[in-house]
Amino acid sequence: MTHNIDNEKLVAYVLGELDEAQLNAIEKRLETDKELQDAVAELRATAALAKHALQQAASPVASLSSDQRAAIEVQAKENSDKTDAERPLTLLGLPGGTATNRSFVPRWPVGFLVAAALILIAIAGLFAAGPTLLRSSMMQSSTMSHDHGTTPRAHAPVADLQSGGISAPAAASQTYYRDVNGEADELSNNYFVAGERAKERKVSAFQVERLESLGYLGEGVRLDAATRPGWVGDPNKNFWPGHNTEAYDRIFENPFLDVVQNPLSTFSIDVDTASYANVRRFLTQNTLPPPDAVRIEELVNYFSYDYSPPDGDDPFSAHVEVAGCPWTPEHRLARIGLKGWEMAEDERPASNLVFLLDVSGSMQPPNKLPLLKEAMRLLVEQLGEGDRIAMAVYAGAAGLVLPSTPCDNREAILDALGRLEAGGSTNGGQGIRLAYDLAVENFVKGGVNRVVLATDGDFNVGTTNQGELIRLIEKKAKSGVFLTVLGFGMGNLKDSTLEQLADKGNGNYAYIDTLNEARKVLVEELGGTLVTIAKDVKIQVEFNPAQVRAYRLIGYENRILAAEDFNDDTKDAGEIGAGHTVTALYEVVPAGQDVDLPKVDPLKYQKPVDMAQAAASGELLTLKLRYKQPDGDTSKLLAFPVSDTGAGYAQATADFKFAASVAGFGMLLRDSEHKGAATFDAILELAEEGLGEDRYGYRAEFIELVRKARALGAAE
Amino acid sequence: MTETPLTKEAWVAAALERFEQPLLRYAARITRDVELARDVVQDTFLRLCAAERAEVDAHLGAWLYTVCRNRAFDVRKKEARMTPMPENAAEARPSGTPAPGDVAERHEANAMVLAVLDTLPENQQEAFRLKFNDELTYREIGRVMDISLGTVSNLVTTALMTIRERLRAEMNLAEEV
Repeated sequence: MTHNIDNEKLVAYVLGELDEAQLNAIEKRLETDKELQDAVAELRATAALAKHALQQAASPVASLSSDQRAAIEVQAKENSDKTDAERPLTLLGLPGGTATNRSFVPRWPVGFLVAAALILIAIAGLFAAGPTLLRSSMMQSSTMSHDHGTTPRAHAPVADLQSGGISAPAAASQTYYRDVNGEADELSNNYFVAGERAKERKVSAFQVERLESLGYLGEGVRLDAATRPGWVGDPNKNFWPGHNTEAYDRIFENPFLDVVQNPLSTFSIDVDTASYANVRRFLTQNTLPPPDAVRIEELVNYFSYDYSPPDGDDPFSAHVEVAGCPWTPEHRLARIGLKGWEMAEDERPASNLVFLLDVSGSMQPPNKLPLLKEAMRLLVEQLGEGDRIAMAVYAGAAGLVLPSTPCDNREAILDALGRLEAGGSTNGGQGIRLAYDLAVENFVKGGVNRVVLATDGDFNVGTTNQGELIRLIEKKAKSGVFLTVLGFGMGNLKDSTLEQLADKGNGNYAYIDTLNEARKVLVEELGGTLVTIAKDVKIQVEFNPAQVRAYRLIGYENRILAAEDFNDDTKDAGEIGAGHTVTALYEVVPAGQDVDLPKVDPLKYQKPVDMAQAAASGELLTLKLRYKQPDGDTSKLLAFPVSDTGAGYAQATADFKFAASVAGFGMLLRDSEHKGAATFDAILELAEEGLGEDRYGYRAEFIELVRKARALGAAE
Repeated sequence: MTETPLTKEAWVAAALERFEQPLLRYAARITRDVELARDVVQDTFLRLCAAERAEVDAHLGAWLYTVCRNRAFDVRKKEARMTPMPENAAEARPSGTPAPGDVAERHEANAMVLAVLDTLPENQQEAFRLKFNDELTYREIGRVMDISLGTVSNLVTTALMTIRERLRAEMNLAEEV
């Protein structure tokens, strides 16, 4: 044996075969170990040479005979599955590719490229041969442009071919020839050329070095084209009826809790709104959402409420309103509302944003990458002089598309956006590391430092273990960089992964299903999305047993904290952004009422607790809040006693009614055992009473959704 | 959704365009005969026609290599029984492999790599080629060759290290001269 385990690890590192944990370990050693750096450099050179030698030597072998091909064609026809209908040419997904693709996507042998160029030239001749031949040739061209990243003008030949043009293929072949020539140099030192390319795109030498040392510019040797769904022009695989890989974590609804046994209710705030947009997507497609896709707190928090902003030193104000519970009239509903201070657009501190965009094959459909690009354009338009944007993409390998660029250079940013194309499998872990490294490099003290991750969350290459991804994010969040997760698409949306990433990464998570939603998140609520004004915001409510028999927190199931976590500053919790409102609802069973609670035997050694004097105060509950400044480590405590005025729900404010209607809607969609007398009709009535000013029409849209769900529910 | 997937014919045709050459080279290396390789590859694609597309699609490349490899080894076994391999197998080799006489004419370093590779055990060669020529991942190679991930790593590393040692030796030699 001429090598030890270390060699295996190094080779795996050079070939991009290491998992996250091992990658971390090696990179850590690489930072200081000069000898190891040399060893890696030597291995890279050897690997590049070996690859070059093999691919140079791979001259074409005699192809299958026409008889053999014909036999295959016949067989394919015979086995043709009936569900597979003809697919229009325009949907073959012809990506233009980008400079980045060119540098980071694995490459195919030169001989193969030349063959492709010849085939393209041949298309002119084949054009008259009928649609089948043409289609297969087109497939080829699409494959090639996928793999090699031609200029965006690769689109042109397609359009021309469809309209019967003949000249276009020649133009295309020139493109390929250029690529072929470039390819020859590149194969000899793929690694080095990637670095050169990065330099051309005005990355600082330091960044190149850093990227190199981290292996981002290494060879992503991987058989991407073969495994990527986009390659056979089939990004819609997940769209076939009955085939769905969306993942939602099971939600176990919060039960009613006995106040004597559980006097404290503790949870982390959540400003995510993704679930609402996702539910809307289902309903708009005339389906009721799966119950576990409905996170009630995210539905309620999708809407902003008219709570007055803070007037003191604290970054947010707290408001509690108590009134009758609409679905169970003998119960009370307590609404806790927090409102972050509002920030004028010109007060927004300088931003250092790193977009980390998923350009894997699964992002190809129009409601993913194309929508993402539109959304990003909206965001870029909102940003100005003091702001900087960097852009990284990840697919089979992660790569830098745009180094940190001042936002007044809008052209460069939009240009980089425009060049993005989908293709490849998803190595989220590597991308996340790259993005955080970029954010840290360009850190703006006192400013907004944020990674904006846009993906369908289908991380299928590299670190795919969800636990590891989350640990990675958790670690990266300690650098002071915040995270925004934008979820896109459907069919294989990994909702649970994304929510957890945002949760652990000091971030927020929004689901973008339409351009309007993008506008809401990235334009109207930009401040809230970008500027965190308080972090690790925790809520603890102590109920007064003299007033309350039992209570139930509606939603926030995956945000529940242990009572002792409230005072533990190492325990992570939710962030609140500028101008954000956060709303939580408790259904409260007043003292003296009977409620069906799980029975526990009476204690043998302890007497039931005596009431303290304060219990006689008549207060319903005390609301306690803890938060940290965005860059702080110690939390501050706020406490507010709350009394029940005894108001019926008719007397409640419009905001209260609307929030109650949204929560009730969520319970209906989840078919909650606590929905009481709630019906779609009752929800509609409540929502209409709570419509209020509705400046952007979001509440009116909600009413439409309730109507839709009512129709769908009735149909079932 | 309004978009519909490719027909099976187009799917197979696309796979053929993409994989015909690499598979032919791969098969020829195993069968040491281009004609046999063509039969093997035809067979591979006939099986693809009959395969359940949903099961294959996500790992089309690995699937094709696996079927092709099994088929090629079957053929090789059968051929070996019927006609003993000729002593000089170099003639039947696909043009990709350098016969000893070619070496001098090729670029030095390239030639050296290929020459060293030729001296390695067959399983090392195969894993190495699948990695560097066909660009499969370790996982895919493990699947295709039906060996563990650890074995793949070992094979590829050993091969690469041997080549590295040889390169080092050549360079030292060049310096001395």
